[in-house]
Amino acid sequence: MKKFLKQVRYQFKPAWQPGFLAALLTIAFLISNCSNPSTSGGTAQSGILVYGSSGQPINLESGNVTDGNSLIVHNQIYNRLIEFKPGTTELQPGLATSWTASPDGKIWTFKLRQGVKFHDGTEFNANAVKFNVDRWWDKNSPNGYRNAGKTYEIWEQIFGGSKGEPNSLLQNVVVTDKSTIQFGLKQPFAAFPSTIASGYFGIASPTAIQKAGASYGTPAAGAVGTGAFVFKEWRSGDRIVLEKNPNYWNAGFPKSNQLVMRFITDPAARLAQLRAGQLDFTVDLAPDQKAEIDRDSNLTAVARPSFNVGYLALNPTYKPLADVRVRQAIAHALNRAAIVKAFWGDLAESTPHFVPSILAWAQSSDLKDYDYSPQKAKELLAQAGYPNGFEMDLWYMPVSRPYFPTPKPIAEAFAADLNAVGIRASLKTKDWTAYLADRIKPPGYQSFMMGWTGDYGDPDTFYYPHFGTGGTKDIGNWKNDRILQALDQARLTADQSARSQLYAEVDEILHREVVRLPIVHSKPLLVSRKSIDGWLPSPLGTEPFEAISKR
Amino acid sequence: MGQYIFKRLLGLVPVLLGITLAVFLLLRFIPGDPAIVLAGERATPDQIAALREQLGLNKPLLFQYFAFLGNLLQLNFGNSLISGIPVIDEIRTRWTATFELAIAAMLIAITIGIPAGVMAAVRKNRWLDQVLMAGSLLGVSIPVYWLGLLLVYLFAVTLNWLPPSGRIGIESGLNFQPITGFYVLDSLLRLNLPVFSDVVSHLVLPALTLSTIPFAIVARITRSAMLDVLNQDYIRTAKAKGVPDRLVIFRHALKNALLPINTTIGLQFGTLLGGAILTETIFSWSGIGSWIYDGILARDYPVVQGGVVFIAVVFVVINLLVDLSYAWVDPRIQYR
Repeated sequence: MKKFLKQVRYQFKPAWQPGFLAALLTIAFLISNCSNPSTSGGTAQSGILVYGSSGQPINLESGNVTDGNSLIVHNQIYNRLIEFKPGTTELQPGLATSWTASPDGKIWTFKLRQGVKFHDGTEFNANAVKFNVDRWWDKNSPNGYRNAGKTYEIWEQIFGGSKGEPNSLLQNVVVTDKSTIQFGLKQPFAAFPSTIASGYFGIASPTAIQKAGASYGTPAAGAVGTGAFVFKEWRSGDRIVLEKNPNYWNAGFPKSNQLVMRFITDPAARLAQLRAGQLDFTVDLAPDQKAEIDRDSNLTAVARPSFNVGYLALNPTYKPLADVRVRQAIAHALNRAAIVKAFWGDLAESTPHFVPSILAWAQSSDLKDYDYSPQKAKELLAQAGYPNGFEMDLWYMPVSRPYFPTPKPIAEAFAADLNAVGIRASLKTKDWTAYLADRIKPPGYQSFMMGWTGDYGDPDTFYYPHFGTGGTKDIGNWKNDRILQALDQARLTADQSARSQLYAEVDEILHREVVRLPIVHSKPLLVSRKSIDGWLPSPLGTEPFEAISKR
Repeated sequence: MGQYIFKRLLGLVPVLLGITLAVFLLLRFIPGDPAIVLAGERATPDQIAALREQLGLNKPLLFQYFAFLGNLLQLNFGNSLISGIPVIDEIRTRWTATFELAIAAMLIAITIGIPAGVMAAVRKNRWLDQVLMAGSLLGVSIPVYWLGLLLVYLFAVTLNWLPPSGRIGIESGLNFQPITGFYVLDSLLRLNLPVFSDVVSHLVLPALTLSTIPFAIVARITRSAMLDVLNQDYIRTAKAKGVPDRLVIFRHALKNALLPINTTIGLQFGTLLGGAILTETIFSWSGIGSWIYDGILARDYPVVQGGVVFIAVVFVVINLLVDLSYAWVDPRIQYR
């Protein structure tokens, strides 16, 4: 039987094996030749700017979303009343040509640009601005569609509350004439122009919103603004296509006829697309991808100016951390400069300040950082009554953020440094949404990694949410009366040098108290092909692409 | 036959009920909820509480489940909590992408897997058999994520033969209006050859990546089914009668070995729809898989529930079709 089968097998051989192999080869040949991307129209062509987004926008409705992937699209379709000068946090006219505060600082008057039209041909004027603001802050606005799940949380987060609520900074919005609008505040707020310039508050066409109703801003309905690009198409999960606004008020812009924004979640896949010439520029890469970018002569690595802070929060509710000497000991124990160098290379800086260097006017110039000194740390611990150190929970985030791209290895580096002075850190983490939620449930975490990217170009965006009224829930409602006073005062006064002094004082107290120890101000890594000109990344995270051209 | 189908469809009801309950509960057991995602990293507890109320997440679980079931009966999958887009709209625009990818992957798996399995069976324990089976072991165990990136770096970045991700190129995409949503088919219907070659080239790498597991399984099942058949007496008889080898293998042996292969292909197709989640994410493929993935990260309950229920229904229907196809493959089988 065995012999027979062997014979059978032998006889099979010549009959079909060559044919099969030939078929396989043919398939392989067809696959490799069926299309070369450079000849099939797959590559990014000139005149069409192709941007690689790290994900799909949530929604194109201004005021209703805060994620970077949405805001970057908003920036192309909408204008804000005030814009930021490219690459800076300084203000420049947008849909408003000028803005002034009343002598008591409570009424801000905006003069609006005339002759501007929305993409749907309707007129931009003061009523349109009021329509937009009412949707964001008035819970009873018939055009808010809150019953259909619309939220507008960011308004409350920045301005304290909605219309009629006791903490709302805004008192009223008044249309004085077609091209003038006034915002009445309950108290002076020096950073008001800067807040209203933030990327959340693009001005949308009232007609388009009323026409689309609750579906405004979705793939089916699109979005209508006054910006450099007009919405054309949103293929869910794939891309958004925008076209040049031929009637754009900013003459000479945009420099490209079309802008295609592709959604590619994986950073490695985004870089691969860019290297293959299918994208022109992209954002949100990890620092360790810089070496690969530098090796490719077609690419330019770009560092976005830092406008964030990654910090280690030390919660004084817990016993050893209640003693300021213990917190200072931790500052001495961590070799922050070396950690930053190791994990970010030259894409970040380690400073003693909570606000990034672009806001240097709000820092104290006299501050001397805690030097790396395990010896001093041990001495401070001994003085505080912990000569043998103690055990401490150290929570690290489970996701990559611009300020902590690789949280776990960074946390391990912290733990190693802490261990050297006797503080035995036990590393903990949990799912990101739970991480965020549980940190503000009393008593919160003992120590944890967290960070922040500023919303608007004023130091208030860093200091107030972390140390102002209601900002310290995650560190056991820690309170310093002088800080509270100084932060409130800095909101009230319009005098820049007075504000500068107040913030410098805050900076010094924070440095002494070490409740949120600044670790890093990172510069997010971006990359473009060399054929791209005119891209000036904004520190604020998103910017209009109207000045970008492609050779 | 009709009665059999009816009985099978009736049997779907408890299966689907189980699936809805499982996906509903599993999602609720993951820590975190959509209100936190929606309110952002900087929200206060009060804002989160207000949002939970607005989204109906503060209602009892049982109430939420029955509301979900009640809506499902009216084919209402709800709206995404995060984007507000109706779930059914997303399924409608995305299912074709996933199916196109799964079909392409299956075609690759079958075209290579069945001949490989036959060849391995015929050359049992010889080097070709060993190489093929080692290859199939590799196919099952290779991480899709790693293989996908490797293929991208080799064929897209280094050799620049194929596009690294997406379904269609930038230029092609601007001027091409899909009809059915199956881009390969649509480009043929529109007689647009440049777009056809563009979409096929986009399909190759993700389909190859996705095909590794079904290829391996199809090859292994084919080999063992063929070995069973090749040992049967009638094969020896056929050989003894002087029937040519080609006929013996493909008409007598392979056709009789098809039943288990057929079942495997059907089951694997269902698995492909689920397995597409990773592949779609790596290749930015705008299908159901990458959509569910994003939905899970954002705790977007209606999206994940709708997506999973959709895939489950398709899976069960495919199973039914596979069972029905037995009668065609093996006329001795009758349905009662």
